[in-house]
Amino acid sequence: MKSLLVLYKTEFKLALREFSGVLFGILLPIGIMLLLGILYGDKLAYENAPYTLLQQSVAAVLTVGICATGLMGVPITLSGYREKKILKRFKASPASPLLLILAQFLNNMTYALISSVAVVGIAVLCFGYRMIGNPVLFILSYFLLMAAIYAMGAMIASVAKSEKIANMLCTLFYFPMFFLSGATIPYELMPKGLKLFADVMPLTQGIKLLKATSLGAWQNDSMNAVWILIFTAILGMIIAVKTFKYEYES
Amino acid sequence: MSKKALEVKGLVKQYKDLTAVDHLSLEVEKGKIYGLLGPNGAGKSTTIDCILGMKNYEEGEITVLGLSANKDRKKLYQRVGVQFQSSFYPERIKVYEICEMISALYKKPDDWRGLLRAFDLEKCAKHYVASLSGGERQKLSVLLALIQNPEMVFLDELTTGLDPKARREVWAMLKQLNQKGLTIFLTSHYMDEVTALCDKVNIIHHGISVASGTPEEIILRSGMQNLEEAYLYFIDEKEMIDREVAFSTL
Repeated sequence: MKSLLVLYKTEFKLALREFSGVLFGILLPIGIMLLLGILYGDKLAYENAPYTLLQQSVAAVLTVGICATGLMGVPITLSGYREKKILKRFKASPASPLLLILAQFLNNMTYALISSVAVVGIAVLCFGYRMIGNPVLFILSYFLLMAAIYAMGAMIASVAKSEKIANMLCTLFYFPMFFLSGATIPYELMPKGLKLFADVMPLTQGIKLLKATSLGAWQNDSMNAVWILIFTAILGMIIAVKTFKYEYES
Repeated sequence: MSKKALEVKGLVKQYKDLTAVDHLSLEVEKGKIYGLLGPNGAGKSTTIDCILGMKNYEEGEITVLGLSANKDRKKLYQRVGVQFQSSFYPERIKVYEICEMISALYKKPDDWRGLLRAFDLEKCAKHYVASLSGGERQKLSVLLALIQNPEMVFLDELTTGLDPKARREVWAMLKQLNQKGLTIFLTSHYMDEVTALCDKVNIIHHGISVASGTPEEIILRSGMQNLEEAYLYFIDEKEMIDREVAFSTL
């Protein structure tokens, strides 16, 4: 337990110095939230809608932090640790390299949570945001999405044969989801064909679920989203564990 | 108590169709410095990986301090320190942070501040590892292999890429540690280093041991003037035999 704490603390400092996690995981979503708050004001989502545009969007902005940490932070750091033989060094100690991996996950989750608290805080304090739906269901959905996205990150960390490939795979997963799932551009505004494509992505389903729970508007397909996220989380973790290696084959 | 720190009997390691280590046997007495020599790709690092349980092997028996890396992993790593060939530092980490991190892996770590002092690295404690000179970084990597106060250390290509002064600093340090009873297993392809440090050496080529004994014995047997010439003599001889075998099978 003490070892984990030391690793967690050091990893936290390293991530702070690295800064791209802070930039994409915390500052970017805060910026998006401020922008949306100013643009939307207290406009309704549509004519006579029971909720405002802002209420509809907050949930989506929260996912930016989850993705930046889970899909970029976790796989790129871990595959870098493998490439630099840090995992191997840990394997040659009485502790397990899993400790370092766990510290890395917890650390990224901390960054995601800081980001989410900041985003919701700004929405509440600056723009008068109030959640309509059940907060407990919302928080559960939030962690379910986190599990799915982190499982995808873990999978990339395992299957990538080098840090470069991990980087490429992250970009390949991250950016389409980032732009098309409604995290940045509202899903509601997309043409039908694009919506179909976006629906395949776990992030789209996660955002739909977060919207449904935060707006208290449980849709017919909300349960589908739950199943898709559970499926993604389990499949991602299975692939990650089965293909995991401490060292790249030379 | 056995006097042997390490015993390898008939080690065979196969990579697909390449035999990296071919029926290698060696013994290291406690309190001695043992050098495993050979050109690049001779199988030195692979041998260390097999000894430490980092890689599975096809045949052979290995005991380190009376323990097997595969069965008594935790016990063994508490008593054996390792420095792998390439440096293993996370990016943007400071000297004291990597010391804390590696200390956290062991039950009863040595006081790393004391080690920093002993290695004349105390002034660098708050520096970034990346900003250290080559010699300082190598000293740090030896320090990290010693953090749990081990009985034996494995050092893979300890001084590759160092300037002459830095190499001599590292040698002096190792000799000092050896005088205090530390058993050292190192790989190298610098013969001056081996002559200066090793009690016994083993020259391997294509995974096969071509000569072993004290440096003096090896020089004597080759009929050459020094270890460098003796080394080249044994490596060449092996290559000549290989060529003859290749011709005779034509």
